[in-house]
Amino acid sequence: METDKRFIQFLNKFVSISLEEYNQFLAPYTQLRKFGKRETVLKEGEIENHINFILSGLVRKFYKKEKEEINTQISFEDHIIHSQESFHSRKPSEYTIETIEPTVMLSMTYDDLERVYAGSHKMEHLGRVIITAAMVIKDNWQMQIVKHTPRERFIKFINKNPELLQRVPQKYLATFLNIKPETFSRFKHLLREPSRY
Amino acid sequence: MIILKAMSIDLNNISDSSLQYISSYLQRFMPFTIEDVKGLIQYCEIRKFDKRIEIVKEGEIDNYLNMVLKGLVRKFVKVKGKETILQLATEGHVIHSEISYLTRTPSQVILETLEPTTMVSINHKKMEEALASFPKGERLGRLIMSGMFVKKDERRYWLLSKSTRQRFIDYLDRNPHMLQRVPQKYLASYLNITSETFSRFKHLIRETTSNEIVNFPDK
Repeated sequence: METDKRFIQFLNKFVSISLEEYNQFLAPYTQLRKFGKRETVLKEGEIENHINFILSGLVRKFYKKEKEEINTQISFEDHIIHSQESFHSRKPSEYTIETIEPTVMLSMTYDDLERVYAGSHKMEHLGRVIITAAMVIKDNWQMQIVKHTPRERFIKFINKNPELLQRVPQKYLATFLNIKPETFSRFKHLLREPSRY
Repeated sequence: MIILKAMSIDLNNISDSSLQYISSYLQRFMPFTIEDVKGLIQYCEIRKFDKRIEIVKEGEIDNYLNMVLKGLVRKFVKVKGKETILQLATEGHVIHSEISYLTRTPSQVILETLEPTTMVSINHKKMEEALASFPKGERLGRLIMSGMFVKKDERRYWLLSKSTRQRFIDYLDRNPHMLQRVPQKYLASYLNITSETFSRFKHLIRETTSNEIVNFPDK
């Protein structure tokens, strides 16, 4: 199936997995989940039971600070999204996950993932490599927040993901980049004048 | 003066308390017999540093994952001349330059001892060997990683969602000894509080102490 191929391609970035191995060890445990636009995937206070691979659509993860929603992840096709802390620790999630566009994801539950690990040493290895990579991404992101000015963060992010400016409401992008909405609007002139960067 | 001693571990020489730190750290992830622990220790080294030594410099590749057995190490990043403290590790804590160690790229952070420090360390290569040869190694590696992940996320959430005052109280409640061991400006930076606010908050500690005296006259 096309969806499986996409997922296998993703996994192959970490450890080489054949179609046969995928069919034997992973396929029986995956499920397709479909969500409408602006639908809650996981609510704050719930325990995260899924790890999700996005096949199509756009999803955000946020927490509430007083009345404000602070976005900590905005993910689209071929990305993994879930509330990792809750998933690994089996404690209620501090975060809410919600779709921005209609979304299809390939998901696996916590218990099934444990079955996958128990069934094959290679899958356990794959798990470690992916978790390590995820931690590096997170650490790099935090480092960016510490090291770069709002202006640098804005330019870097929009250069890397130009299409998100169309797909994601600006206020989400602003909190994600930890920039005030007013500053975000002000920075937009940087995009119209490419010679400046 | 720089003192750096790295030596392979003589099991007869490793102190009980050190063995205890290592063992109780590992037990958090899965059951370990003392033999398992001793087997894993064979892959490690003991490293000793004087105070104020940069263990990992900016731009260097970090080859070691360390657990502090005695002493205190800070991890920080320099941005335009200003230092921001990301971690303060004391006895029983694990510290390394994660991204550098895991991806084999130059470190963006600096690790420096604040006190004379002894650590048990495992080299990146040896770690891979240990995980490959130890029967449950792959599982242990995965669980340590998820554990670090959760910790990092918890700290991030804590920094984002708690007020400066709450961060100050929470942290010194759990780590009262740190006020004696670490310069205030470092604690302030670690808690992401300005030095002025940090000084202003110190009365909160004195109040707690006097309450205790009132409540527990025997103490």
